[in-house]
Amino acid sequence: MRALTAAALALPGLAQSPVLAAEGDEASFQYGHYKEGTRQLFGERSKYKPIEVDNLSGSGSITLFDRWKLAFDYMQDTWAGATPIATAPLALGGNNPQITGASPLILGNGTLLYDRQLNPYRFDLETGNYSKDRRLVHTIASASPETRRQGNFRVGYEWDEAALNLNGGVSEEPDYQSSFANVNGRWDFNQKLTTVNLGLGYTHSDISALLDPDASAYFDYSAYSKQIDTVETASGVPAHTLRGVRQDWATHLSLTQVLSKNALVETGFGYTRSTGFQENPYKVVDFVFVDPNQAPVDLGIPGLPPLLAPEVQAVLEQRPDVRNQWLWDARYVHYVESLDAALHLSYRFYHDDWAINAHTFEADWGQPLGGGWTITPRVRYYTQDAANFYRPYFLFKQAEPRGSGGQLDFARVPVDRYSSDHRLSGYGALSGGVTVSKALGKAVRLEAGFEYYTHAGGLKLGGGGEGSYADFDYYQFNAALKVDLSAPFLTGDDGGEVHAHHEHEEHLGGHAPAGVMFSHMLGKAGEAMVGYRYMYSLQDGDMLHGTDPVGDAAIVAHGCGGLGCSLTPREMSMHMHMLDLMYAPADWLTLMLMPQFVDMEMDLRQLEGGVVDTGDEGGHHHAGGAPRHVTGGVGDTGLYALFKLFDAPGHHLHAALGLSAPSGDVDLKIQNSEFIHYHMQLGSGTWDFRPSFTYTGYLDNWFWGGQLNGIKRLESRNDSGFAFGDVFQSTAWGGYYLLDWLSATVRGVYTLQGMVKGQYNGPHSQSGPMDFPGNYGGRYWDIGFGLSAVVPSGTFKGNRFGVEWLQPVQDDVNGYQLERTGSLSATWSLTF
Amino acid sequence: MKKAERILALMLILGSGLSSCAAVAPWERGHLAKPQMALDPHPTQSTFREHIYRGREAAGGGGSASGGGCGCY
Repeated sequence: MRALTAAALALPGLAQSPVLAAEGDEASFQYGHYKEGTRQLFGERSKYKPIEVDNLSGSGSITLFDRWKLAFDYMQDTWAGATPIATAPLALGGNNPQITGASPLILGNGTLLYDRQLNPYRFDLETGNYSKDRRLVHTIASASPETRRQGNFRVGYEWDEAALNLNGGVSEEPDYQSSFANVNGRWDFNQKLTTVNLGLGYTHSDISALLDPDASAYFDYSAYSKQIDTVETASGVPAHTLRGVRQDWATHLSLTQVLSKNALVETGFGYTRSTGFQENPYKVVDFVFVDPNQAPVDLGIPGLPPLLAPEVQAVLEQRPDVRNQWLWDARYVHYVESLDAALHLSYRFYHDDWAINAHTFEADWGQPLGGGWTITPRVRYYTQDAANFYRPYFLFKQAEPRGSGGQLDFARVPVDRYSSDHRLSGYGALSGGVTVSKALGKAVRLEAGFEYYTHAGGLKLGGGGEGSYADFDYYQFNAALKVDLSAPFLTGDDGGEVHAHHEHEEHLGGHAPAGVMFSHMLGKAGEAMVGYRYMYSLQDGDMLHGTDPVGDAAIVAHGCGGLGCSLTPREMSMHMHMLDLMYAPADWLTLMLMPQFVDMEMDLRQLEGGVVDTGDEGGHHHAGGAPRHVTGGVGDTGLYALFKLFDAPGHHLHAALGLSAPSGDVDLKIQNSEFIHYHMQLGSGTWDFRPSFTYTGYLDNWFWGGQLNGIKRLESRNDSGFAFGDVFQSTAWGGYYLLDWLSATVRGVYTLQGMVKGQYNGPHSQSGPMDFPGNYGGRYWDIGFGLSAVVPSGTFKGNRFGVEWLQPVQDDVNGYQLERTGSLSATWSLTF
Repeated sequence: MKKAERILALMLILGSGLSSCAAVAPWERGHLAKPQMALDPHPTQSTFREHIYRGREAAGGGGSASGGGCGCY
């Protein structure tokens, strides 16, 4: 897509002329959500919720000098839910919905039988009879929640009729780490009517997948014995980590041609060679061996043919180590003058040496509606053949080949490459959606998109697709905010040299430390501000009781309300990403909207002398015996009004009154069975009242301020049965302008927070102090050190940045809690 | 690779056809410069959609190195 974008920019008229290069400079933020529908399980209700993914991305593109471009992209996904681990005859009984927290029965419940024609027979628990049943079904398993983060940088240089871009980045998740780099060249010729793009890319990936400890006892991973590290955990359950390396080389050549003043076309050819570990390490394949020479089972039921008992083995999938992939794509864009609309048509053909051919057809219609609105409906059809080593499950008419130790002898299994991953099956997919965008002035654009997607074997081009048992659907929606950084922005003066602090002081609150929210208002009616606020906090100190470190024995005895603890937190980290959108309808009033995205990670450790964790605390086996939990997604949304109370030269006072709406989830569970630790939920679950009073003052190069703020929960319980404690905070700061555009601050903070009220109204983890309401809240003292800057001139004049480190001075915690290490705040904002 | 050869031939034919296109003077390129005429008018959205397709479909290889992670769910 990047190549296509580059190609788009390369087009005459779309191209950024070097003189006006800053025109393409943009900052964007996007949130996306993906949710699958439930799978067809033929009456067996899986307790697992289907996969959901929350995605957050941000990017920026700036012109450094006339011809140098620098850009970065950041993206993170947090996903959780259930997904197929294998496929089997329904008669195998692989889904096991009755027992909470139990693994799927990938080897079945032992009642599957076959007739001599290898038709499966299913045992009916109610009638006690067997009947022929050829239906297949996915075996569903819960996947442990994970967060993936990806960042990449691009640097580019533009000549008059060419460009060169270098791009590199990393993608990190606990089981899969990739680093990648691209080089891409663009040449314009034929008076810029023709553009050629050529790109080369390389990706290196390291895989270290922890095999599900609940399930790994039931599948055979001996084919990977040289790639598996085994660690004995404190709870006695061995943890197996599968390691692999994968490399991808990719190239793409494309040609873009202006056909007329109303039409252009692009066509390209791509080749990718992938080598190494290409398996999905979480998918298993069921091998069913039916020995035709065995004595049939005689059940004594009239009308039933002689039935044969199979031997069932589940094994990790095996794919070829090499995959060569070719693609050809073409797109055509046509302007419809009478409607001021654009029609986009595209086709993509894909072929690989795993015998997969795929076709993708897409069409969309971009229709401006006036008033800055554009609506783009879209439709897409995709179809693919199955890989030549794909089968839903593998049925062999032979006895199970066994080695001398009784284990499966892979050398005598008739296949050496096998996968039941439905992504390699034959199917078609039809999807449709719409994108709506709205320009707000010259600088800001909002975009929202929705898509519904249905995957079905019956939609495969030419027929012969996978059975309907594998059909599924999903929807996704996304919303984005884009800021054109080259639009004219307010800088508080009429051009020339910016005297930043004077401007700032007129700006009603100005440069408070980055960690202070609600610290300033907008100056004049009609002004608007777009800002981004990031906060990272880390706890990895001692376990405290009150203000004092405490040993494991005391935690075990007192930290879990008399039940005895088995685990305690070792490290807890949180990242918050907030958008800060402000608008002033009047000089005395500023309205503020603050959506949030949060993600958290908690590492736990076994307590010495602790209660033995039975392993029923679903998910406490993650990461090789170092239990770890991850959550992430949309947090609570703030809606505030800021009122000017007093304003005189050198002194300013304002109040903020507002609500925090409970848009963050408070029903997240560990492996879909038990509520996770209270502060790993994404929001409060309650409507919260958030008042604050802020005073700021300045004299010459000095400035200072203070704030009182609070959070009052307006409900005594959320839907999950609890409410976080109220919060009161006071803070005061002083600062000095080191330069016209740069200031430094020091501040002190005191925070008081109550303990959790109520408790979970369903099954919840009770393994450590973090699971008990009394071990929340406390009294905290911090000191903060910050820097703030405003860009005084040039393309990015008026952009403000702030950063602050908050260093804990003392923690006085309720109950038993992990000591805080510190928190970092960083802000960016632009007023226009 | 017969298919690959066929595709290459098609591209060459298409390419040679394009060179005979009528010239469009710079002052006639206003329509082509409209945002809805960009080859990809919504690139951040497309990235998100492609990321999902890549996690769900076999034909993900796009001829560039773009990260994206395992997609192993």
